[in-house]
Amino acid sequence: MVKITVAGLSIWYDEQTAIKNLSLQVSEKEILGIIGPSNSGKTSFLRTLNRLNELTSNCKTEGEIQLDGKSIFKEIDLLSLRKLVGIVFALPLPLPLSIYDNIAYGPRLRGEKNKSKLDGIVEKSLKASYLFDEVKDRLNTSAFNLSGGQQQRLCISRTLANEPEIILYDEPCSGLDPISTAKVEEAMRDLKKNYTQILVTNNTKQAARVADRTAFFLMGELVEIGDTTKMFTSPSDKRTDDYIAGRFG
Amino acid sequence: MKNLFEFIVEKAIFLSGAASIIFVVLIFIFLLKEGLALFGEVNFFAFLFGQNWYPISDPPQFGILPLIMGSVFVTFGAIVIAVPLGLAAAIYISEVAPHSIRGFLKSGIELLAAIPSIVLGFIGIIFLAPLLKNIFHLGSGLTALAGSIMLAFMALPTIVSIIEDAIVSVPRSYKEGALALGATHWQAIYRVTIPAAASGILAAVMLGIGRVVGETMAVLMITGNAAIMPTSLLQPVRTLTATVAAEMGEAVSGSSHYYSLFAIGIVLFIISFIINIFADIFLHRSKAMKRRKK
Amino acid sequence: MLKKVFSLFLVLSLPVFIFGCAGGGKAIQIKGSDTMVNLGQAWAEEFMKEYPAVPVAVTGGGSGTGIAALLSNSTDIAQCSRQIEPKEIALAKKKGINPKEFHVANDGIVVVVNPANKVNKLSTRQLSDIFNGKIKNWKEVGGKNEDIVVLSRERNSGTHVFFLEHVVKLGDKKSPNEFAPCVLMMPSSQAIVEEINGNTAAIGYFGLGYLTNKQKAVAVNGVLPSVKTVTLGQYPISRSLLFYTNDEPNEKVKSFIDFAMSKKGQEIVLKMDFVPIR
Repeated sequence: MVKITVAGLSIWYDEQTAIKNLSLQVSEKEILGIIGPSNSGKTSFLRTLNRLNELTSNCKTEGEIQLDGKSIFKEIDLLSLRKLVGIVFALPLPLPLSIYDNIAYGPRLRGEKNKSKLDGIVEKSLKASYLFDEVKDRLNTSAFNLSGGQQQRLCISRTLANEPEIILYDEPCSGLDPISTAKVEEAMRDLKKNYTQILVTNNTKQAARVADRTAFFLMGELVEIGDTTKMFTSPSDKRTDDYIAGRFG
Repeated sequence: MKNLFEFIVEKAIFLSGAASIIFVVLIFIFLLKEGLALFGEVNFFAFLFGQNWYPISDPPQFGILPLIMGSVFVTFGAIVIAVPLGLAAAIYISEVAPHSIRGFLKSGIELLAAIPSIVLGFIGIIFLAPLLKNIFHLGSGLTALAGSIMLAFMALPTIVSIIEDAIVSVPRSYKEGALALGATHWQAIYRVTIPAAASGILAAVMLGIGRVVGETMAVLMITGNAAIMPTSLLQPVRTLTATVAAEMGEAVSGSSHYYSLFAIGIVLFIISFIINIFADIFLHRSKAMKRRKK
Repeated sequence: MLKKVFSLFLVLSLPVFIFGCAGGGKAIQIKGSDTMVNLGQAWAEEFMKEYPAVPVAVTGGGSGTGIAALLSNSTDIAQCSRQIEPKEIALAKKKGINPKEFHVANDGIVVVVNPANKVNKLSTRQLSDIFNGKIKNWKEVGGKNEDIVVLSRERNSGTHVFFLEHVVKLGDKKSPNEFAPCVLMMPSSQAIVEEINGNTAAIGYFGLGYLTNKQKAVAVNGVLPSVKTVTLGQYPISRSLLFYTNDEPNEKVKSFIDFAMSKKGQEIVLKMDFVPIR
């Protein structure tokens, strides 16, 4: 079942091309990994999926992206899109609020006021990212008091509290130690049951561990996309092979 | 040879830095010396809390409570006007205005700061006082409110500048995080960016207060200089600063009137000092918050 | 490098030029009464035409400021629109200054209201009560039913001190009367003029020379102020305009004072809307 269709997508910042004529499809409830060297357009692509790149004033987009057959530019309004598509950034970015308030932020924005409902959402989201046991006694303390790994899982919970259908990850473990990274990856695998996930990462090994399919971006172009195991053992394109083998990067 | 040069430069820089602190201390000591001499002749509490300011009468009365209240009322009024305006302007400039006019707007507001305070006082007398008189059916438009409005203009550039700085320093990621969760632009601004910039906003308020409390010429011209205990902004008041400006020339050196004006100077110095300390604390906190973001 | 040193030298030497050029010989300093400042300047201009080698500098600040300057030895002549007080004389003696008085002109203090105000005359008793706050409404003295807006000069003004003693305290130095706290203290006579022009409920006072047809002078104790009534002593609020020096003035200063009191000087007094001494 196709969840997301990208057709002929191009992205520019002023004169610089970030993405050239990109077309791909994302299946429902899969984890799609996106790898490639810096400046290959991975993050630009990711941020177009929830139209976050529109915040950058000199960004221009062309082409089409469809979610369940509906255009995200023309048929789905911005606020609904941001509910459907959640994002976890590279640096953990808790809001300057308590742990509870961070997670309740999204639901409250949508008008949810019922305290017991909010409690339920908070608990469910924290459990889904394997954070609940560690923080259940201090939900009202500042989110800044958590460790890096915990903050990142908090951000995942926060995204989950919005009940999205798709979760985007922009190099989520880049600042984390191996143990926290393992916990985040475990959460991702668990979330496959209910969510479609797209993971941008500079760490090819992470893609190998976690992604069902992987896409290789190079200088704004999609070079190759396919089953992860196959791509890592016998990629079709030489450039993919060179990158994965570490001959450039 | 090089070492000698280094040594001289180091010492010169040290002396310059030390000089500014030394000047402040010397000024304060001079103020204290002349001001505290008053309390040999006048009771301290009668000075601070007395309600009658008749310094050239026989016997003179040196109660400065009406003057303190005058300064408080004018300052309070000015801040109540300038802070919401300044906050709105700062938010507009940093978050809403298109890039192209941002620089133009900032320069415009900074131009306000270039207007000499005496010009604002003059405008106050000619236009503002008669206007207030007609709107509020007052005996005269020379009131605390006239002073507050003009002083708000003076404080506005400071307040806008500092708040705008504070907002711009809030990491963009905070706003993005909120937007990614589905907040609208305004929701992200008032729920995330503004609370995050809170320390900077408080610092701006304190520095605005400091700017206003020390203002002399404009209040001398438009507040009526009547030493009453004010009960509303629509009455004339007499501020601490205007009193010193108006009476210093006449006070004979060495008289108790002379000492009393220096004592007022001490009061002003202490008020300014406390305000600046608080502003510093808040500015410090706002910087510490920036550093916390790993 | 050389350019930088040279420009630095220029910048640093600028103050020397500015301060060095300030005055051919040592100027006669005259400080004090704002009421008299224009008169002083008119005298100075004519005097300098006849004696171009002696510059004269005239500044205001109020009679009190002038006396304070005399006591700190920073002026040659203190212009005053009131007499020096015993307190000030005592302080002067302590500082080794011996004030000498010269009567150079006369002045009437006019009490003014807006031309639209129908009140034309007031007694000194009524004036005292208006300015000390006992009378608060114009209807109490025959005018409209509106609160009186009372204007005064600041305490550093000789006009203020004179008015306080001779009108508010009715000439009795021991009287407890003061200006009421709600009296608006204006920074200059011109400010009083402006306020009266625009405010029908206002009352104020200033020297005869400031009166224009935009204000109305009230008759005090039945006498309207004019050069004639002041000279004849009929107008009750009249005062002497004085010069004070420290001891006998030196030759330069004496020639200026003589000029002011000469026929030519007194013609200038009349031209400036004050009252000559003869």
